[in-house]
Amino acid sequence: MASEVGVGAARVARRGGTGTGRTRRTRRSRSTAFSWAMAGPNTAVVALFLLLPLGWAVWLSFRDAGTFGPTRFTGLENYRRMFSDEVFWQAVVNTAVFTLATVPTSILLGLGLAVLLDSALPAQRVWRTVIYLPIVLSGLATALIGSLLFEQSIGIVNKLLAAVGVTGPDWQTDGAWAMASLVLVTVWVRVGFSMVIYLAGLQDVPRDLYEAARLDGAGAWQQFRQVTVPLVRPTTFFLVVLNVIYSFQVFDLVYAMTNGGPGFATTTLPFFAYQYGFEQRQQGYGSAIGLVLFLVVLAFTALQWRGQRGAVQGGA
Amino acid sequence: MTAGGWLSGCAGLTGGGSGGGGGGRPGTLSVITWASDAEAAVFRDLADRFGSENDVTVDLQVIPFEEVQTTVDAQLQAGDPPDVFRVTYTDLGRYSTTGQLLDVTPYVDDAAAFIPAFWQAVQTDGTPYGVPHHTDTTAIVYRPDLLQPAGITVPTSLDEAWSWEEFAEVSDALKASLPQGVFPFVYDWQQFGAYRWLTWLFEAGGRLLDDDLATAVVQSPEGLKALEFTQRFFTEQWVPRNTSVKSTTYPDAAFIGERTAMAFVGDFLLPGIEAEVDFDYQATFQPRDVRASSDLGGNALVATAESANAELAGEFLRFMVTEDAMTEWCARTTELPTLQSLVGQDLGYEVRPDLMPVFVEQATTLTEEDVAQVTVPAFSQVNTVLLDQLELAFLGDQSAEDTLAAIAEGVDAAIAG
Repeated sequence: MASEVGVGAARVARRGGTGTGRTRRTRRSRSTAFSWAMAGPNTAVVALFLLLPLGWAVWLSFRDAGTFGPTRFTGLENYRRMFSDEVFWQAVVNTAVFTLATVPTSILLGLGLAVLLDSALPAQRVWRTVIYLPIVLSGLATALIGSLLFEQSIGIVNKLLAAVGVTGPDWQTDGAWAMASLVLVTVWVRVGFSMVIYLAGLQDVPRDLYEAARLDGAGAWQQFRQVTVPLVRPTTFFLVVLNVIYSFQVFDLVYAMTNGGPGFATTTLPFFAYQYGFEQRQQGYGSAIGLVLFLVVLAFTALQWRGQRGAVQGGA
Repeated sequence: MTAGGWLSGCAGLTGGGSGGGGGGRPGTLSVITWASDAEAAVFRDLADRFGSENDVTVDLQVIPFEEVQTTVDAQLQAGDPPDVFRVTYTDLGRYSTTGQLLDVTPYVDDAAAFIPAFWQAVQTDGTPYGVPHHTDTTAIVYRPDLLQPAGITVPTSLDEAWSWEEFAEVSDALKASLPQGVFPFVYDWQQFGAYRWLTWLFEAGGRLLDDDLATAVVQSPEGLKALEFTQRFFTEQWVPRNTSVKSTTYPDAAFIGERTAMAFVGDFLLPGIEAEVDFDYQATFQPRDVRASSDLGGNALVATAESANAELAGEFLRFMVTEDAMTEWCARTTELPTLQSLVGQDLGYEVRPDLMPVFVEQATTLTEEDVAQVTVPAFSQVNTVLLDQLELAFLGDQSAEDTLAAIAEGVDAAIAG
């Protein structure tokens, strides 16, 4: 774009003019057209695959719509039904618990591992790869690995515990332990991602700050608390937003590991929406649930964004 | 009509757009199915044979069972459906009542050739929207080495099947004799199989729906008896606790993993079990109460109304239920035929042919009344209601009465649409 503007300015100069109203308008319109041309493909993709389905979901959420056949406008009926559905509220609580359990854990562990692997540790690249590996596997593959690990009768975890004389937890039939198994697999998957992002963030921390801190008598923990943590705050913000969105969207793990059970103990909002939208073929009701999920994530992200922007501008 | 006659009816097909406005390629028949390894192999062979005999290409897409419904639904919604797909009898009504399926009347030469219950299962308001491809049913496989030490003798005929009381005594005896961590049995009601709980309801003489198939009647003494008995599976620890209806642990896995002495399994699971275990196992009949019963297993093949190759699709269905094709299918998959002419015949089962008579006889306990209740258009929603509520009754503290009330409420809502 810069070169295009430059060419336009040179032409204006050759004609001996420096900005009549007409040339300014022409320049602006060319610049605008070029901007649209550059943004066009992405805008089209976003409109086609994001905004259009979103609008469609909004439309469906106000209708009695199955998978096939005609639909009927029912106003707020789907929302009224949803807010009076006990399982919906349990799904809200489950999603919140899952998010609170996974986001801080995977971020803190990721930061710890990043600091560790940023130092002079032997075989750094091997460790980084091993820790990062789960994130490149498909969600369903990791979920199946999770199923093998946490099957409570013949699963690997309980077999190992039994080998050392410990009776393993009821991973599949106790609600709290079933949720714990989802959290553990999620943290295992996500910690590598957090670690890699933090490793990049740590490169932006000036080394002389550590030197100055050491001269002031700061120990390793104080350097971490007073230098590292504040200076990677933008990275932390980025990870919090991404992880919260990920946690609110957890589906494949629930689908493959617990099927929402036992009872409804691990039924999360995306799984609840899927059950109605696809398994039960009530796409109107499923869309309403999905829309509430969308609004919650949107509101949370906006809140985080505003809060973080203020903090960063205020001087981290 | 003989198999040869049916086959000759297929002769001379060239494929090509004889049908509606779907997106299929002329001369290519698109088929979507799920399949076990054994099923996939025979499905491919039969599809290739149909293709070579008719000079067409059969594009067979094998996808996991859990993904079939969403895949087919999405393609139907997008107006680009497969020409043919495999569907459970319990889900067929959802498609047929919404105009998604081809009326296959022209492609069925002799409706009376099918076992009536399965012919009924593919009809909606008297119109056939598919062909009953095969059936399967549940029986008990057991380990003699674990039953004999407990002094248990096993029924050898349907008439001698254990009563519920006897089955409870057997389970108690096994519980007392089995090593720690091994359970008396496991039942096959996980996930999409939640409806198999109805076998106990039917055995007790109960019904899920009334005669008009419009209202739930599960809140009955028979319903209470069935639910309280099946709750005992968990309270008495006759089954591993992690094999409830929402579990991802299936009965064949528990049996193969030597966690149970007996397993209620469909005959289609025998090839997988046979390949994995190195202990002896035999088969016997499901327990009976007021009557014997079983579940409506197996699947139909259907063609889509919008198929661009409707005629070719219809002929493919005709081919797949010829005596020859059905015999080969059943022999290689250890599944049961739906043609009356093949019932009682030696089909040459490739895996454990000695056990198959038990499954064949067990399948005869399914009545047309049972079939009608599990093939209502909303049955996939009914199955979800059973899944949710039975889980609460088995693993939660929901009482039998409350569970039946919740099932009745959910089923009524599903039926009402």
